[in-house]
Amino acid sequence: MDLIAKERDRLLQRTARIYGLSFTVVSLMCLSIPGAVDRLSYFACIPLYIAIGICQWRVASSRSLVWVGIPVAAGLSVILVVTIGGTQPPGAAGVSAVEQLAAASIASAAITLTGSTLRRVLLGIAFITVTVTTTLTLAPVQSPTHSLAVCVLGWTLSTIVGFWISAGVPQAARRIASIGRAHRAERQASETEAQRRQGARLLHDTVLATLTLLAHSGVGVAPEALREQAADDARLLRQLRLGATPTPQSSGVYNLENVEETVLGTTLESVKQRFGRMGLEVSWHGTGQVLLPSDVLDAFLLALAECLENVRRHSGVTEAHVTITDDETTVRAMITDAGVGFTLDDVDSARLGFKESVVARLKEVGGKARLFSSPGSGTTVVLEVPK
Amino acid sequence: MSYAPPEENTLGVIFGRGRRREADATRRVIRAATPRRSSLGTGFIGIGAAVVVALRSIYGFAMFLGLIGSNAYPSPAPALAAWVVLLLTMAVTFITARVIGDHLPDWAFGLFLAGLAITVALDFVAIWPLHDIGRLATAASTAGFALIGAITLRRTGDILIATGVLGAILAVAMIVNTTPSVDNIAAQVSVFAFTILPPIIGVTIITGFRRLVQIELDRVLVQSTVSAPRFAVGMMASEELARLDLAAEELLDSVSTGKTKLPLDPKTASVAASLATELRLHLIEGRRETWLYHAITESDLLGKSVTLTDRASLAGLLDPQQRDGLLSMAWLLVSDTSKRGPSTTVGLVVGPAAASADPGQGRKITIPIVVTTTGVARNRVDPGTWEAIRKVGQYSDSTHNSSLRVAIDCLVDNPADQ
Repeated sequence: MDLIAKERDRLLQRTARIYGLSFTVVSLMCLSIPGAVDRLSYFACIPLYIAIGICQWRVASSRSLVWVGIPVAAGLSVILVVTIGGTQPPGAAGVSAVEQLAAASIASAAITLTGSTLRRVLLGIAFITVTVTTTLTLAPVQSPTHSLAVCVLGWTLSTIVGFWISAGVPQAARRIASIGRAHRAERQASETEAQRRQGARLLHDTVLATLTLLAHSGVGVAPEALREQAADDARLLRQLRLGATPTPQSSGVYNLENVEETVLGTTLESVKQRFGRMGLEVSWHGTGQVLLPSDVLDAFLLALAECLENVRRHSGVTEAHVTITDDETTVRAMITDAGVGFTLDDVDSARLGFKESVVARLKEVGGKARLFSSPGSGTTVVLEVPK
Repeated sequence: MSYAPPEENTLGVIFGRGRRREADATRRVIRAATPRRSSLGTGFIGIGAAVVVALRSIYGFAMFLGLIGSNAYPSPAPALAAWVVLLLTMAVTFITARVIGDHLPDWAFGLFLAGLAITVALDFVAIWPLHDIGRLATAASTAGFALIGAITLRRTGDILIATGVLGAILAVAMIVNTTPSVDNIAAQVSVFAFTILPPIIGVTIITGFRRLVQIELDRVLVQSTVSAPRFAVGMMASEELARLDLAAEELLDSVSTGKTKLPLDPKTASVAASLATELRLHLIEGRRETWLYHAITESDLLGKSVTLTDRASLAGLLDPQQRDGLLSMAWLLVSDTSKRGPSTTVGLVVGPAAASADPGQGRKITIPIVVTTTGVARNRVDPGTWEAIRKVGQYSDSTHNSSLRVAIDCLVDNPADQ
C-alpha cells in the first residue's frame, strides 16, 4: 500500500477537474454568443455540456474510467452537432467553442490517463479521435493546419502536466524518505540524550533540593552554606552539560569516575550534610561500609532522601534517625522520626510522592519499601535493596 | 555567568506565545533538514513548467509569424520587439532561477514582471489600430502563460496578483479598443481565458503538490516512532531537559558567585520554584508516554483530529508492524476525509489488557483497541485502511451513529515474559 501514490492520483484527479471544468465553462460561454450555432443545435448541446460538467466534477473523487470516457464521448458529440449537425455552418464563436472543447476541456482527460499502459493506450485513442474529428469537421470554416495545431498543443500540454506530476511525486517521495531516515536517527539521539540526563538522578536530586531551598528564598539556611551548595550543584550541571555523567559521592570532593561499586558511607554523609543545611538533623546508626552497584545505590539514596524530605516537611520535628543494616542479600535502611505521624488511610501516599519517588525507584532495582505510621507516634519507613 | 529568566517554559505557556505545540518541533526539524522547499520536488516541477511555457511560446510565435505572413500588422516592428522582450525575459528568468537555486528573489521577480509588462505594451502598440485584440494578441497572451514559469519560484499569492493585474489590463484594453460584435467577441473571450486560466490552474497544481509534500513529510517524520522503545520521550524531551538543566545551572551559578543576593527576591524565588517543578516533572513523568502518543502529538494532521485514551500505556507493547498498521489506519481515516471539514474525528481507546483466550497463542496477551470515528462513512473508507487494520490484529467493524467503529484484538507478547 503506497500512501503517496494515492495522494498523487488525487492530485492528478483534482487537476483534471479544475482544468476541464474551467474550459468547459469558457466553451459554453462562446457557444452561447448569438450566431455561434443555430438554436436547435444549441439546445441539443446543453445537456451534453451538463454531462461533461458533472463527469469532470466527479473525476476528482473517483478513479473510474467512466468519468473520463463520458466527457470525451459527449465532447465529440458536441463537436459533431456544432460543426455538421446544424442547418448552417458554425459562426466564429461556434468555432471557438469547438476549439476550446477539443483542445482544452476534454483534453484534460489526458492528465488522469498517464498512470498505466491501458490508460496511455486510451489516451492515444482519445487524442487521435478528437483531433481527427475536429480537424475534419472544421475544415470547411477553418484551415486544417490551425485546428490540428490547436488540438496537438492542447493535448500535449495536458499530457505533459499529467506525466510531469506523476514523475515529480516519486522524486519528492525519495527526498522525503531520506529526511525521514535522518529524523529517525535524530529521534534515537534525542532518546539517548534524554536517558543520559534522566539517568543522572542523584545529580538532579541534589539540584532539586537546592532549587527547592531557593524557591523559599533561601530562608532558614545560612547564606554561606547555600552559596556553597549552589556552587557545587552548578559545577555538576556544567559537567553534565559537557558530556560527563557526574555522580556526587561525597560533599567536598567530587569523584567523577564511574565506579561500579561505591561505599555507601561516604555518600550517606553527603545526604546528611545536605539535610543538615536545611535544618533536619540526621543521625546515622549501623554500618557505613556497604558496597552497592551504582544503579542500586542511586535508587537507594534517592528513596532515602525522599523519605527524609518528607520528614523535614511533614513531621514537625528537626531530627530523624537512619539505621542501616545489611545481611548476605539485602541492605536495609530504617528511617524513623518522632513527629506527628499520620493515619495511613487518611493520607494519599501519592501525595507524599511516596509511590513514585520511593516505591517505583526501588522496584526498578529489585527493592521494596514499607511505611508504618499512626498519629502522634511518629513514622517509620523501611527501605530494602538487594546487594 | 549572570542569571536571565528563560524565554519559555518547557511545560507550555509563558511570555505571550501561547501554548507551544509539539508540532512546532517537527516543523523546526523540517526546516533544519530542508533549507529550501524546492529540494522536495518542486524544482523538478519547475522544469516541467518551463517546458510547458516553451511549447506555448512556440505556438504563440507560430501564430505571430502567420499574422506577419498575412500582412496583418500596419507595422510589425513593435510586435516583433514584444516577442524579443518576452523570450529574453523568460530565458533570463529561467537561467537566473537555476543559478540562484530554484527561487526568485524580489528583484528578479520584479524584472520578470517588468519584462512581461513591456511585452504586453509593445504588442498592444502593434495591434491597437486594428481594433481586434482577441484575434491579434500573440505575445501579450503568451505573457500570461509565461507566469507559469514562476509558479514554483514564488509564493502563490504573487502569481495570482500578477495574473489578476494582467487580466484586468487585458480586459480594459479589450473594452476600450475593440467594439464588440458577434464576429469578434468569441475571440476576446478565448484569448482572455487562455491568458489568465493557465497560471490559475498552475497555481492550484502547485498548491496541491506542496500540500502533498507536506502531508507526506508529516507522515514520514511521525513514522519514526514505529521503532521507538515501549516508553519513549518526545523529540523535544532531551532539548527541554537540557534547557532546564542550563537554566538551573545559571541560577545556581549566579547564587554561588553572589550576583544574585540571598535571601532571594520573590521573583527569582518563584523562578526557582517553577524550575524545580518542571525539572521534577520532566524527570519523573518523561517516560509515561508511548510512541503512539508522541506520533499523534507530533503530527499536524493526526494531532488535530485523533484522540488517544491509553491509561495503561499498552500501545507501547505493539510490535513495529502492528504500530505501522495502526498509524496507517489513523492516517487513512483522517487524510481521506480531511477535505470534508473538521467534523472528522478518530478516537483510539487502547486496553484494558486481557489474557489471550486462545491457548494456541502461547503466553500472549490480547489488547483490545477500539476505534471510534465521527464523519467517516463505512462505504467511503479506503480499501487500504482494512489492509492496515489487518496488520494490527483481528477486527470487527460496525457502524455507530452513521460513522465507522472498529474493534481490533491485538495480540502482543506478554511483557512479564520479557
